Amino acid sequence: MSKIRMTDDRMDRRTFLKVTGAAGLGVTVSAWGVPKLLRAEPAPIKIGSVQPATGPLAVIGQGQRRGNQMAVDYINSRGGIQSLGGAKLELLLGDSESKAEVGRSEADRLIQEGAVMLIGAFQSGVSMAIATLAEQRQVPFVMDVAALDDITQKGYQHVFRLFPTVSVFGETGVAYVKQIITEKKVEPQRAVVTNTGDPFGKSQGENFIKWFEKSGLPIEIVDHITYPLGIHDLSAEVAKIKAAKPDLLFPVCRPGDSIILTRELHKQRVPLMGIISPGSPGWYEPKVIQDLDKLVYYVMDNVPWVYPASPVYQEANKLFQEKYGTYLDTNSGYAYAGILVSADALNRAASTKTAALLQALRETDFKDHPMVGKAVQFKENGDNINAATAMVQVLPDPDPNRRVKVVLPKEFAEADYVFPAKQLWERE
Amino acid sequence: MDPHLALQLIIQGILLGGIYGLIALGLSLIFGVMGVINFAHGQMMVMAMYVSYWLFILLSLDPYLSLVGAAAAVFVLGYLIQATVVNRILDYPEAMQVLPLVAMGLILENMALLFWGPDHRSPQTALSLQTLWVGPVMIDVSRLIAFVLAIAITILIFIFLKKTNIGKCIRAAADNRTGAILVGIDVDRIYNTSFALGAATTGAAGVLLLPLMPLSPHMGHDFTLTAFIVVILGGMGNLIGALVGGLILGLAESVATLFLPATLKQVVSFSLLVVIMLFRPQGLFGGKK
Amino acid sequence: MTRRHVFFAAVLLVLLALPLFLDKYALGIFVMIFFYAYVGQSWNVLTGYTGHISLGHALYIGIGAYATTFLAQTFGITPWIGMLVGGIAAVLIALFLGFLGFRFGIRGVYFVIMTIAFAEITRLIVSHVEALGSFSGIFVDFNPSFWNFQFRGNLPYYYISLGFMLASLVAVHLIEISKLGRFMVAIREDEEAAQALGVDTFRCNMFAIAISAFMTSLAGAFYANYIYYLHPNSLFGMALSIELILRPIVGGLGTLFGPVIGSFILTPLSEISRAYFSKGGLEGLHLILYGILAILVVLFMPKGIIVYVKRALHPILGTTNAE
Repeated sequence: MSKIRMTDDRMDRRTFLKVTGAAGLGVTVSAWGVPKLLRAEPAPIKIGSVQPATGPLAVIGQGQRRGNQMAVDYINSRGGIQSLGGAKLELLLGDSESKAEVGRSEADRLIQEGAVMLIGAFQSGVSMAIATLAEQRQVPFVMDVAALDDITQKGYQHVFRLFPTVSVFGETGVAYVKQIITEKKVEPQRAVVTNTGDPFGKSQGENFIKWFEKSGLPIEIVDHITYPLGIHDLSAEVAKIKAAKPDLLFPVCRPGDSIILTRELHKQRVPLMGIISPGSPGWYEPKVIQDLDKLVYYVMDNVPWVYPASPVYQEANKLFQEKYGTYLDTNSGYAYAGILVSADALNRAASTKTAALLQALRETDFKDHPMVGKAVQFKENGDNINAATAMVQVLPDPDPNRRVKVVLPKEFAEADYVFPAKQLWERE
Repeated sequence: MDPHLALQLIIQGILLGGIYGLIALGLSLIFGVMGVINFAHGQMMVMAMYVSYWLFILLSLDPYLSLVGAAAAVFVLGYLIQATVVNRILDYPEAMQVLPLVAMGLILENMALLFWGPDHRSPQTALSLQTLWVGPVMIDVSRLIAFVLAIAITILIFIFLKKTNIGKCIRAAADNRTGAILVGIDVDRIYNTSFALGAATTGAAGVLLLPLMPLSPHMGHDFTLTAFIVVILGGMGNLIGALVGGLILGLAESVATLFLPATLKQVVSFSLLVVIMLFRPQGLFGGKK
Repeated sequence: MTRRHVFFAAVLLVLLALPLFLDKYALGIFVMIFFYAYVGQSWNVLTGYTGHISLGHALYIGIGAYATTFLAQTFGITPWIGMLVGGIAAVLIALFLGFLGFRFGIRGVYFVIMTIAFAEITRLIVSHVEALGSFSGIFVDFNPSFWNFQFRGNLPYYYISLGFMLASLVAVHLIEISKLGRFMVAIREDEEAAQALGVDTFRCNMFAIAISAFMTSLAGAFYANYIYYLHPNSLFGMALSIELILRPIVGGLGTLFGPVIGSFILTPLSEISRAYFSKGGLEGLHLILYGILAILVVLFMPKGIIVYVKRALHPILGTTNAE
């Protein structure tokens, strides 16, 4: 029963918000003074964030939350949503537990608690479930991170995505590999692709191979190894990799398996020109950098990375470091950008109504984000036209928080890349 | 087929199998004595790994040195679980015995998450990258140490059960509960000790795994299943069987890499499990307990 | 009309009228309450009445969901028919499992482990079938219509899931009062004695597992068209198998209303505690509390909460014979 009453309250507040928002500055001129107080404190606008805060991807999920939350704090510190009377943003948190059905139910709860937009959900499966819910409930859903192409292929009207799709990863990844080989005048002959057995890993691995074969590079993919997400032992797989005698390794990992994989490559002395990930977590997370130390040096990863020279990034990263002791990476960076884009849409819509928000989102042209790439603009199907990836490389630096560097494309690069790399066991 | 690869896989499989055996030993012991299946087995192992991890991070104590301490901590945990929960459900129908231990696994797993966060922790210990080479074949030193210690602990447990007073009481209680009560054994306490001992062995196995794989709150479940398979292979309650079952599973999983994608290996393990249950429910080795 | 009839009619009326007063999210919670009550009841048929414990019942949900969706997306067959096909597939697998288990005398924990093994094997195989989406799972197309079993709002799902739950209550009640039901309980109490008295225990067990699998698989069809995303790990995984046995055990194993009562208590609890504790810093706490509650109930109310509910309702219902 109390539930029902709470909802009614909320409806009242929302109507109230619209009134104050629409009235805007006009109210302040009134002689009473009380409305002025109201104008200073319009009811917050709620955005629902659903991320995998528990479960096997919890490390990333919590980073996502932090990215979302930091951006909300940033917007609020800058005076909230101007066109809505300086209304503050409020982030409602949902936990998908890495499960589609839970993600859906959490998103539904957040909508009921007054979220006018949804953001999330890192995993493509969970994002798919929420996308369908967003379509059912007619609430805009901005995917900060989620890579599978299929999600935006369903003709849904309420779904937007900042993150590059798997196809983009495949195409850009292969192009970078080509560039590296050409620039360094090396001639690798054989390569092995590995990926985790989950929607992202499978899709990313297969797409990369598809683009690779299309590119006509004179390198043979001699083995493609898929192992379960959350595997504990890769010694047998690495023995198999060694037997395949590759020059290059293209691993699609998650935190955890990247550590086992690298250590096994070291122990079994697998000679490689380099490790280049087609685009995956597992190589740039602070914990991985710290635990693998020298072993993760020179690993390259084709990811949509932060753009270190951008002022938005520098400001956000400084706060992030202060608050959480780590740096903004691909995922938390996109989580941050996702909120900025949502806030921008809210501001231009000057409304929290779905129709106005959708209209504003479709017209998005948002440059001031912290990532590598041009302004965020959405295609018909909701994908970000300008979603791009960068090649990052882990390079030696006394400060572990500064080891991940953008190396390609050149216009965003912070450092020159090293290739071929020293073998894992020859590093001192 | 590449003979070096095959040899490499066989060696790695056997070495890991020894640790599987130790994990399963605890499960087998608990089942053998009380007839309950410890569905929280892997999660208890993870607890020991965290104890050992923190001793390494905070006191720079190498996992091999903190092995006894971590096992002792899980011994206490096991004792408490048995004393507060398991002793009360021994006479329940089996369906009701399953739930509390499943729930216990859920609690332990999420306590780890709550206290220590979701990170995959894998500090580099002194030996975690050391290797020996026999011609072209690599032997992972931490794996070898883990194997040797796992065998040693198994033998110690065996001697303990055969020779000591408590060990004899445990066997008596396992064979005949009523009889044990009649001759004046405090069966509840013996049960507590048995469960604790089973927990401690799996804890020790976890510590041996620490240099080999990243630690995270959610890894326990997989090892619970591994322990089930091993125990069925070797025979429920059969301690030597657990060791041999562990070796077989380790070997099978490793060598299967030659024929199957990593993602299908478990199909082999589970099919093996079903076949064994159908045709040799007492396990591959030997007679009924 | 006895007082019991009046009481049940009143409860039914309340449930039918409830959506008038609920928002979408609350409706969603009720959908999950009915869903888990239904699945719990389906599991109860096997484990509650015959005592053979299945910890792999997610298997049948998965088969129902995958079969329905595959038929709908590939051949355009409506889920209303597809779910029956899924049901038959589930029955065949269950009969195979049952044949191995009951013929070869696999009982107790061995049976538990065998059910886990079957679910895991199926999960891994489905993970490798490209036509079923492999590791990526299946994204279900959303085309709302009654024929497609897909709806925009939660209201239709509310009434469908309520219908499922009520139908399962009727079905299990009919089983309870049938000869089969009495034999099943006899098997639970003492299988050998039942056999000695001339009960064809093998046949009864096979019937029980087949009915249970069929009912469970229908829930899979519902799941597919409610969540719109199928993944082998979440549909065949052990987490779901565990989730679905909690409610009947807490409510009262082997009783008609146990799974329903369990679901009415645990489902909202899990939703609310997740909502409350999933704020930053307390991740996982709700699952700890969930676990503690499950243990406390088993330790201190081993016959389930139904005992207390009955006692509380005694003044209204009078004596009951349905245990």
